[in-house]
Amino acid sequence: MDKSDRRRRPFAFDKMEGLVREMKDEETGVRVKSQKLFLTSIPSAFAGYNIIEWLMDRLTVDETEAVHIANMLCQYGYFFPVNDSKTLTLKDDSSLYRFQIPYYWPCSQKNPDNVEYAIYLSKRLLRNKQRHALEDYEMDSLNSLKKNLQNKWEFITMQAEEQVRLSKDRKKGEKIVTDSQERAFWRVHRPPPGCVSVMEQIPIKIGGSFSTKKKRSSEDLRREVELLRNCIGRTRVKTSVALDGLVSFAETYNEYDPLITGAQPSNPWVTDDPTFWTFNCPMVEAITEKRIKRWALSMEDLVSDATGLYEFTNYLRKEYSHENIRFWLAVNDLKRSCQSQILHRVKEIYDEFLAPGAPCEINIDGKTMERTHKEMKIPSRFTFDGAAEHVYTLLLKKDCYPRFIRSEHYKNLLANGVQPSARRRFFGLVGGAANKKVDCKDRVIRSTVGCSSTQGTSSSSVLQANQSSSCNSAKRRGSDRSLTSSPHELPINSVKVSQSHSQSNLSDIPYRGDLPCTPSSPSSNQDNLSGGVEECVEPQLPSMMADDVCPWDVADGGGCDRNKRPLPASIAEERERRLSTSSSRKNSGGAAYDSAASADESQSDSVASRLRRSCGLGGGGSMDKRRGSSAACTPQQTVDRPSVSSAEDFDLGPSPESRSPEKQPSTSPHEPAGAASSLDDKSNRKKLMKSLSLARKQSVTPVINVSSVDRDNGCDRTAADTVDETAATKATVAECVTSTADTGPGSGSGQPSETVACSSGTETATATATTAASNVSDGNDVCPWEDEHNQDKGGRFLKVYETYGFL
Amino acid sequence: MKDCKSYSVAPPLADIALRNIWNLDMALDVNTRTETVELLSREADCLKHKLEEERKKLNDVTLANVAERLEEVTFLNIKPRRLLKGNQAKILCCDWSPDKRHIVSSSQDGKLLIWDAFTSAKEQTVTMPTTWVMACAYSPSGNLVACGGLDNKVTVFNISNPEEDPSAKKKTVGTHTNFMSCCLFPNSDQQILTGSGDATAALWDVESGQMLQSFHGHTGDIMSIDLSPSEIGNTFISGSCDKMLLLWDMRTGQSVQSFEGHLSDINSVKYHPSGDAVASGSDDSTCRMYDLRADKEVAVYSKESILFGVNSIDFSVSGRILFGGYTDYTINAWDSLKCERVSLLYGHENRVTSIKLSPDGTALASASWDASLRVWA
Repeated sequence: MDKSDRRRRPFAFDKMEGLVREMKDEETGVRVKSQKLFLTSIPSAFAGYNIIEWLMDRLTVDETEAVHIANMLCQYGYFFPVNDSKTLTLKDDSSLYRFQIPYYWPCSQKNPDNVEYAIYLSKRLLRNKQRHALEDYEMDSLNSLKKNLQNKWEFITMQAEEQVRLSKDRKKGEKIVTDSQERAFWRVHRPPPGCVSVMEQIPIKIGGSFSTKKKRSSEDLRREVELLRNCIGRTRVKTSVALDGLVSFAETYNEYDPLITGAQPSNPWVTDDPTFWTFNCPMVEAITEKRIKRWALSMEDLVSDATGLYEFTNYLRKEYSHENIRFWLAVNDLKRSCQSQILHRVKEIYDEFLAPGAPCEINIDGKTMERTHKEMKIPSRFTFDGAAEHVYTLLLKKDCYPRFIRSEHYKNLLANGVQPSARRRFFGLVGGAANKKVDCKDRVIRSTVGCSSTQGTSSSSVLQANQSSSCNSAKRRGSDRSLTSSPHELPINSVKVSQSHSQSNLSDIPYRGDLPCTPSSPSSNQDNLSGGVEECVEPQLPSMMADDVCPWDVADGGGCDRNKRPLPASIAEERERRLSTSSSRKNSGGAAYDSAASADESQSDSVASRLRRSCGLGGGGSMDKRRGSSAACTPQQTVDRPSVSSAEDFDLGPSPESRSPEKQPSTSPHEPAGAASSLDDKSNRKKLMKSLSLARKQSVTPVINVSSVDRDNGCDRTAADTVDETAATKATVAECVTSTADTGPGSGSGQPSETVACSSGTETATATATTAASNVSDGNDVCPWEDEHNQDKGGRFLKVYETYGFL
Repeated sequence: MKDCKSYSVAPPLADIALRNIWNLDMALDVNTRTETVELLSREADCLKHKLEEERKKLNDVTLANVAERLEEVTFLNIKPRRLLKGNQAKILCCDWSPDKRHIVSSSQDGKLLIWDAFTSAKEQTVTMPTTWVMACAYSPSGNLVACGGLDNKVTVFNISNPEEDPSAKKKTVGTHTNFMSCCLFPNSDQQILTGSGDATAALWDVESGQMLQSFHGHTGDIMSIDLSPSEIGNTFISGSCDKMLLLWDMRTGQSVQSFEGHLSDINSVKYHPSGDAVASGSDDSTCRMYDLRADKEVAVYSKESILFGVNSIDFSVSGRILFGGYTDYTINAWDSLKCERVSLLYGHENRVTSIKLSPDGTALASASWDASLRVWA
């Protein structure tokens, strides 16, 4: 074994051999002794747990890792199971193992050749059948070897006979030892079929890296010297400065690292919900706040995000200074275009940006210009690099970019940034801590509570919850959905329901203060929004939910169906819907119309209508699966707010007739939401978003920080409520109800459901007599709602609601 | 004299590179003739020594010290989320589509598979004329995949139309004189950057198959390359069996920075997402990180209990976590700043050959000799 051989073999063998040598140390190594196995005594053997303990001790690793390492060593044949000739695994028990002698260590001899293997096999063939019989696969290989090594077979048999003869002279113990060692060796090098062969190498590495052996030419050396010379002259920063940079980079981007801090609303791989991707498509209309914030981190972050680049360009266009960014983009494009187009593109860029009097002349200094002109003589993909770098660092990065980040444009974007917060996603999916607290007897209860908890909980815990109970969550959703869709039964069991409601209302009273227009919605809101509130809600929720559920089941067959609807189906629907969200916003309009239509129909007969509507909801949902984001959002949301739905039901029951047609859509806002969005143009949407954000701010507190609002649970709730209201108003205006979907999947996530809640809340207020107090306040609220719906300019309503909020 | 000859033998280069080479040649011409190999290697050794001294001068703290103020990565709950089975043989490489859910994998049986990892569905199969397809890569548009291996070639397939058989629309873009070990599209569908066992890297024009630039400097098989994450960056790094990590200027074809330290072959290199540092994984069972501004090694990620080599590495979005796929079937997650291992992922049943973080950082894909791909999140 010459040096080059040793160098070529994987480094791991050195490490393993080092470790095994330590193991075999008489003082500090693994204790070996003669051990009895049945009637035979096995010399110097050790038990599986011995080696595990030794490894844990020596390498300070946990048991799993120790077992893993021991298994690897065993697979490489450094020790072998005495009794088990099939597998090379190490068990952490008292089964016996022996060290392989170094002669048989892998790589101490180069790949053993087939002749040796043939000798070994024929040797075994010559011996005691009982103990040395060949395995099937060994028999096969012996036969094939016989064919391939025909000319050598005589020699092989001779060798085998000779070796057998020699072994007969040995002592029995010795024989056993050598036999087992040999056997273990061949098990490693000629593993039984289906077993992993650790000796297999990448072909390129078997040959050895040819070039390492290659003598380095003077050309190589000259290159190296050149490089080294340059390297010595290089300016370096202090290690501390450089490392500080790395550390602060990690700190800055910590919240953007889905593997550390989780993704909002959820990691698609964990929850199967691709909403995250919808939010983070290259080009989106509803931009998440987080994403917008990221643009402010660095220019790279801005321009590497297609949406960011788009907004940036828009901003610069407004300022009549977008020639720089356009030039920079063109140069980047040039660098990346195929060779055949280079000449053409260079010319184009020159004509557009650099030629005197060019339509989009950029402003670069004379020196750079001169250099560029020189480069132009031999056009290449790097011709404009100098100029582009100048533009990028001096103009874009130091001037335009900071201005953009400070601009109203950016601030507006930020203010309108969508929160893909827990709402949409987490409702159904995640049963957080609350889940554990609550009695699990009632699925529905669980679900509601789950919702409430989710909102409050941090993403990480959410993740955890997801993992623990993703299927539960799905179920939960299904059940929620059933709740929502079962308004029909309510009238029949109105008493019971109302009771439950009142209960919830009572508990909610303090909150209702904030949200006068939505008596029932508070509970829903609580569920959805406030982690902090959770605790108060919980006790009531169970009772309420229980009440709700039972009556429904009893009351209406359809309702039962809804409630008990086979979960898988609903789950599937959900999933489909989710998948579709991203794709088909356009279509949502259609869906919305359908739903609206169904809503209209329902007008006529309260109970029947309700039933139908609920059906419509369900149906709409199913239709929506394919159709649109709006649909997708809405059903989910409905689902998400069980309590809300119940509220809705109340409302629907008593006061469908009283309501104006416009309202009805609002009652079943889920479907229309999408439609509205499609109907409304973007500007409308933006307005809406703005107003929403405004509302949020105002409602929450004088503080105008949206993000902070969102973080604050208590505040959040109010904010959400206001949002809901506003959304509702808008929706009504649009006839198709909310533009939740349009406002963006992001905003949609929160809003649509809320709209529902609001509308339902209002209705409830009118409807339910049980909660007198709430009625009063609600009644007040409701009227303005309806009136204003028609006129609705977001701001006004917002204000109204804000004030309400402070009531 | 020989030296001059060797230049003229150099492969066709893009015009700029040519000019550069000629300039270099002229400059060196004067003393080349008198220089011998021994002289040169002596000078190189001397310079290396000097360089080490220079680097030591500004070495005032260690990374672990600086990172002390950071909180530990406590809640790293990464679990296997998808298991993609369908390759019949050892998978040697995988890459994410820019759509964040598709994966291309290449295996020893010469098959190239396109997966929808999210649904775990196999979508397309491309048969290669060679076994050991060592490298595969998605183009930025998601329409093309490039692959190659022991056939020494880089081949591009158009997979944009699922109806058609991609094998029908294949295009051989470049050919090396030894196996092709790694490839990537440098921010463009029109170019491919490859690393090869012939110790060179090369930039190819996809349409014409022309070599735009070649990168000479390694003295061993190039095993891995990675492109600078910066938008304006025209640099890439390469790791080789000569235990060197080189930083290249794509415009000039010159190496501009080099790092040594590994005791064995470098199998994988990766830029830190900030673009200010690079990391490498090696057969010596360690990963290392080098800072480009400080121009030195700043961290070694190793553990006594890790015996086997690192085949592939990748950073999380924040650069905080460095993942390494090891020959001992595991994936280790390192806190890249505190230099501690934070997680050990078991699952594969044979060596992990390739790990890749998804483009949005939500998941980690790993390919293994056990013929399966796994997605971790």
